[in-house]
Amino acid sequence: MSDYADNDYAMALGKEVAIADVDKELHLLWEEDKASTNASLINLAVYSEQKGAIIKNSEHVQIITREHACRAILIGIDRNNPDASIRAWITAHCHLSHGRKSVCCEQIAFQLTGKSTGRLRNTVFSHLNSDLPLVFWWQGELSSLFSERLYSLIDRFIFDSSEWANPLESYGCIGEAMQSEHSLLPMDIEWTRSSQIRMAVAGLFDDPMAASALQHMSELRVVVHPKHRMAGLQLLAWVIQRTGWKQSKELPLGSDNGDIYHYETTEGSDVVVTIVSDPLSAPVGMMEFKCARCEVRVTRDAGSPYIRQELHAGVHQIERCTPSNSDDSADLVMNQLSRGGNNSLYRAVMPDFLKLLGGELNCGCEVEDV
Amino acid sequence: MNNPFRKDLESRSRPEACTVVIFGATGDLTHRKLIPALYNLQVEGALPAGVKIIGFARRDKSDEEFCRGLEEVNKKVSRSGHDDSIWEDYAENIHYHQSEFQDASGYQRLAERLDEIDRERGGNGHRLFYIASAPEYFDDILENLKKAGINRNKKGFWSRVIVEKPFGTDLPTAKHLNQVVSKTFRERDTYRIDHYLGKETAQNIMVLRFANAIFEPLWNNRCIEQIQITCSENLGMEGGRGAYYDSAGAMRDMVQNHLLQLLSLVAMEPPTDLSADGVRDEKVKVLRSLRQWDTPELVADNVVRAQYIAGHVDGENVVGYREEDRVDPESMTESYVALRVLVDTWRWSGVPFYVRMGKQLPKKATEISIHFKEPPTVLFNALSGGVPGGNVLVMRIQPDEGISLRMVSKIPGSSLRMEPVKMDFHYATSFGKGSPEAYERLLLDSMAGDATLFARRDEVEEAWKFIDHIHHAWHQSKLPPVMSEYVAGTWGPKEADDLLGKNGHKWRRL
Repeated sequence: MSDYADNDYAMALGKEVAIADVDKELHLLWEEDKASTNASLINLAVYSEQKGAIIKNSEHVQIITREHACRAILIGIDRNNPDASIRAWITAHCHLSHGRKSVCCEQIAFQLTGKSTGRLRNTVFSHLNSDLPLVFWWQGELSSLFSERLYSLIDRFIFDSSEWANPLESYGCIGEAMQSEHSLLPMDIEWTRSSQIRMAVAGLFDDPMAASALQHMSELRVVVHPKHRMAGLQLLAWVIQRTGWKQSKELPLGSDNGDIYHYETTEGSDVVVTIVSDPLSAPVGMMEFKCARCEVRVTRDAGSPYIRQELHAGVHQIERCTPSNSDDSADLVMNQLSRGGNNSLYRAVMPDFLKLLGGELNCGCEVEDV
Repeated sequence: MNNPFRKDLESRSRPEACTVVIFGATGDLTHRKLIPALYNLQVEGALPAGVKIIGFARRDKSDEEFCRGLEEVNKKVSRSGHDDSIWEDYAENIHYHQSEFQDASGYQRLAERLDEIDRERGGNGHRLFYIASAPEYFDDILENLKKAGINRNKKGFWSRVIVEKPFGTDLPTAKHLNQVVSKTFRERDTYRIDHYLGKETAQNIMVLRFANAIFEPLWNNRCIEQIQITCSENLGMEGGRGAYYDSAGAMRDMVQNHLLQLLSLVAMEPPTDLSADGVRDEKVKVLRSLRQWDTPELVADNVVRAQYIAGHVDGENVVGYREEDRVDPESMTESYVALRVLVDTWRWSGVPFYVRMGKQLPKKATEISIHFKEPPTVLFNALSGGVPGGNVLVMRIQPDEGISLRMVSKIPGSSLRMEPVKMDFHYATSFGKGSPEAYERLLLDSMAGDATLFARRDEVEEAWKFIDHIHHAWHQSKLPPVMSEYVAGTWGPKEADDLLGKNGHKWRRL
């Protein structure tokens, strides 16, 4: 926190208020402006242990509230700071709805340092809007603060597995949380990164020629940015879970180009799957299926606002482009929130994905009281 | 062919790639609604890859000229804006087919063209025929499709038809058209479009009723006093609509289709499932249960018709209906209609449904309001002044889609005074993302074979049966009910207020 001046916080987070006065100050905020409508469909908590992230997260909330009216609660944690303190700021993010009404969403930001982090639950969650679901966006590695006392309050838990150093261990923690709290819905931003690629692939396999060739494929190639190997594995898990392909060799073979896997389709064709890491690729840059009679390809160039769909089957050719989401985390969270539902596909794909990650689930998180 | 990647990807039926043939391709509906709707679906990635569009019309045009005209309009009206790269890909799949609607050889050439597209696809393909032409060509188009043999389903591949309103002008013409359609397409391949059913709030009626446990126990004559369905327009006969409108009128143009469809969604029993026929079976039971106003006296007692006379709307002077362009100066066509409708079922016995539709009213609005009974005359209702108004649940269809609930609350202070307050839910405020256009949803549904939001043959005929009695009284009886007048820019004639006043009710203020 010392890296940022108080002025930076005030600029980004609004008015600093005493913890005990948060509700009163929020009321005053609305009394000042009678022309705006206060809207909220969810409680959105954004949690980070990274220094200064709370300021960036206020910008994220500004974006998210364009489409998802919420009460936002930003939580910044600095556990290594020797001083125990809690500070709070309030503001509102307002947008013109359809060019007419000004619709505003409240934001409360909390910065907790030192031993105060143990007061997270009591301090922060007393400010939830009652009856509205709690969507909790956890940024970075799971820490000891991810405990039953915390996740028992959460309805949807958003995380980004591409940020994890040890995904298997972190997935283990989430798996354990889901077992103990059945209503907890996990939402992985890394999975959302590939959603439009999956939609585009599914769209091409609506074509009868592509669909009839699926179980005769000989190659599947997935290109991802090195930071997004998780997305590549998730896409492969999705394919094998949907198609019923069986792994024909036990271990993936490494090569200079990435991971290589061997599968057998339900029709007995051998498929070589390559997950290529390319530093010049978009987070998810390509998914390509090939067999003798058909090629199905979905590509996205780094930074491109478009996804290209191609199907080549003799004279039958389809080529078209559709818009792509941006790679920005806030946009991806917005996309997740728009889809709603119980994320059944992700949960169905998880077992195959975890097998690809290799090893047994093992929760190594140490838990502390929050 | 099964596509395993579709499973669980979306919570809707899967649309299938097909060739869409639009009859009446140079018309306003194609330019302003259909092509932008398909374009928006492409932008959202919802349009199946491989969809081809063939515009069929009489004028001589090249593919390029046709696409250029579509692009110009799309730039103005597309709700998701216009992206040149996406349009370029989209337009590559749009073609123009010139032919008279009555010319059988034009359909033969169309059949060859469709076969060629199918060959490129590797065999056969699905076909969706959208009849967006003027209604007088419906017969010719359907008969010629049959003669050319392109109406038939091929093994594993469907041919479907979407028919735009008006679906007939009365019961005999609707029956005739149904017969022509049924000779060409099976009922399950026939999609009679009513774009009101594609609107978000119309779809939300069922969700509101059946996904919220608090409403259904109250949804009956024990708790509901009356129901009002209003469609008001602040426009007259602009854009040359006078000729069509003068032959149709408010009753045929709006009540027979849109408003009776909304009424049936509000009044129907819970369907056994959410399948197309599950829902439509219940809707048609409502239409069958409408008490028939089958004598001029009953029509006079329960229906009001009127025409606007010169007045002011939105601060502008407007002429009277009979002075409008392309309207007969002695016209007896109604620009306003108000009805008291009774649904003779156990649930709705004694509950009037008031339906009104009018042109040149003060503002544009479509809504359904459910007026609950007042509390008993004890406690607060026994006080002087009583309780100020009962509870009203309002479902706004347009323009500001949403739901509101009026309740009574105590005014802060030491005395006991009460005022109505409103809980208001706006789609646009709560969900920043705009709702898709009704045609987007309906086109996707037709590609997916989901007819839930389309009218079935028996629904259309039952609705016409109800309307025909009224039209008969108006136009063929010896003592027809009067044609009332209202000043443009007001909420309709006094007679419409009296219609409700007889039962101690009032139109809701919009």
